[in-house]
Amino acid sequence: MTDRETWMALEGGPGSDAPYRSRLAGVGVAIPDRILTTEALMASTRHRTSIDLERLTGIRARHVVSEGEDSLSLAVGAATDCLAHAGTDPAELDVVISASITRYVGGLAMRFEPPLSLAVKEAIGAPGAASFDLSNACAGMLTGVFLLNDLVRQGRIRKGMVVSGEDISGLGANAARQVRSVLSRQLASLTLGDAGAAVVVERAPQGAAGIDLAGFTTLSEHSRLCLAYPARSGPGATMYTRARTIHKVAVEDSLPLLAEVLGRAGIDVGDVDYLIPHQTSARAIRKGTKVIAEQFGGEPKHVVVNVEDYGNTASTTHFLALHRYLEEDRFRPEDRVLLLSFASGLEVGVVLFTVGELAGGHGHAH
Amino acid sequence: MGTRIEALATAVGGRRLFAPGARRLADTAARQCLERAGRNASEVGLLVNTGLYHDRNMGEPAVASLIQEDIGANPGHPPTAHRGTFSFDLYNGACGVLTALSLLDALLASGTIGLGMVVAGDADPAPRHSRGVWFSPAGGAVLVHRDHTDGGLGPVHLDTFPEHAGLLRSSVRWETRTAAGDGHGHGRNVLTIDRDPAFAEQALECAERSVRAWAEGEGTALATVDLLVAAGPDPDFASALASRLGMESAAVVGPEGPMATAHTAAMIGALEAASLHGWLPASRKALLVSAAAGVTVASALYRA
Repeated sequence: MTDRETWMALEGGPGSDAPYRSRLAGVGVAIPDRILTTEALMASTRHRTSIDLERLTGIRARHVVSEGEDSLSLAVGAATDCLAHAGTDPAELDVVISASITRYVGGLAMRFEPPLSLAVKEAIGAPGAASFDLSNACAGMLTGVFLLNDLVRQGRIRKGMVVSGEDISGLGANAARQVRSVLSRQLASLTLGDAGAAVVVERAPQGAAGIDLAGFTTLSEHSRLCLAYPARSGPGATMYTRARTIHKVAVEDSLPLLAEVLGRAGIDVGDVDYLIPHQTSARAIRKGTKVIAEQFGGEPKHVVVNVEDYGNTASTTHFLALHRYLEEDRFRPEDRVLLLSFASGLEVGVVLFTVGELAGGHGHAH
Repeated sequence: MGTRIEALATAVGGRRLFAPGARRLADTAARQCLERAGRNASEVGLLVNTGLYHDRNMGEPAVASLIQEDIGANPGHPPTAHRGTFSFDLYNGACGVLTALSLLDALLASGTIGLGMVVAGDADPAPRHSRGVWFSPAGGAVLVHRDHTDGGLGPVHLDTFPEHAGLLRSSVRWETRTAAGDGHGHGRNVLTIDRDPAFAEQALECAERSVRAWAEGEGTALATVDLLVAAGPDPDFASALASRLGMESAAVVGPEGPMATAHTAAMIGALEAASLHGWLPASRKALLVSAAAGVTVASALYRA
């Protein structure tokens, strides 16, 4: 094993010899107007429960689709918003990757063929882009960025888009008929909200800031801790999660991986200005941050928690949070942001980037 | 420097009640593929599953992660003294294998991974309840690495013809049971595949258009291709495409035997057949083509 070899499939870092550098050019979202509060959701449970879900998770409400909205409409809405922020002509896109868990089109009809990415690229006017769907649970979008980063860095493509439309709140509606206590394996479904998100990854000009490092690994001995299938009791799907176990192993097993990432990037955890972890619950994020601080003797300057009004929007959470912070002008160009993914599989992924000109396409400057 | 196919394997299932499902078929093919290459599963840096019709239509996690665990490709706890395995699912119908190979080619070239595997496996997720399942249960696996010699896999070209997207559509949706139903509930989520009889012919025409346009753009004379390896909606897709492209002097091969009616694993079946005939290892310039719903066409050159 050479010094550059790591457990994670990592690409980037100082000394990396790729001919080009990639960057995030813009982020877009599509958020349904309809809001479902946690109070209203818990009032709809079939069985009387004493679960204080808002206190447990920090989720006050989530947005949910209305009639006529689905995975495809959310994906197209987010992609269109993203193109505007990135200042990208859709005809420039070489690749479009659809990375949602849900692929509902026309109600709760889960699409298998043709791929959803085909409909997205047609809708946004990118007919010449290569396209495919990718499925990697809540790590789908970050996996897409990992792949596009590799293609851009080698000069195989100049621009690509990762898009996801998560029409996933139906799992919560199905869970509401089953959940009896905090021990229910469907409890995590009650945290889900709907959203679309998209990001353009492009070749960065010489010397410009961009993606510093991207990497992934799958700790598949934990692959059966969260499983989702079409529901037996009604339309949509049902998800069974061993939430506590998955959180425990995600935190424990990711520590050496995070050390690898920081080592390859040549930074300390305190050099990370913003950590955006997968947004499952405020409590889980705080617990995870505490473990990181104990292990590394420091912590990121800011840890982003974005669940209060959106819940867990599956594969879109990182980009929903990133979009919000960009719109709120929170970042300085020199800020270093770490997107950290934990997802069923168990997937552990990172994208470390420097904000640079990304902020210019958002917020007041836009 | 080129990305080369190191080993291929396929597995076919049966239609009996307890026949292996999609994941087991992919597992079997993956294990056999590793055995043929004399490799250990722990050497695989990236495992991509392109199988579309999974057992029980599982939506999460990626089926690739289950296969990774099944075959023992670094399933556990990172000891940091070794490279791990990353896995995910990629869906592009019967073009999924070539699409995934193009990504593996890139990640191998960048040195992000050292060895990659694409697996595919499809089976009827709910026999007796699904509609329009036209493919036979089958799995496949292909192992690729990069070496310092010239040749290997060229750029994979993907074309889509969305005007024909309606010719093959599939989805899982809830259907309320009628009085004639089995009476155990109020309904069921059912997989329905609608394949228009015109799909096969249209896919063939799209493949011809795509390959001709690509060859012209690349300045590749089809007459210099000595082997066509193709998989599409019909078992005779490869020979029909060769005829349309006027490739009389090239050897032509598609998936054979039970793999002829496979779905996403069909391209692996075709490559395995080409390898078993000795044509792929001997080919100076092979053209790989697959066609799928969309209509999507994937094509690439492979130099042994």
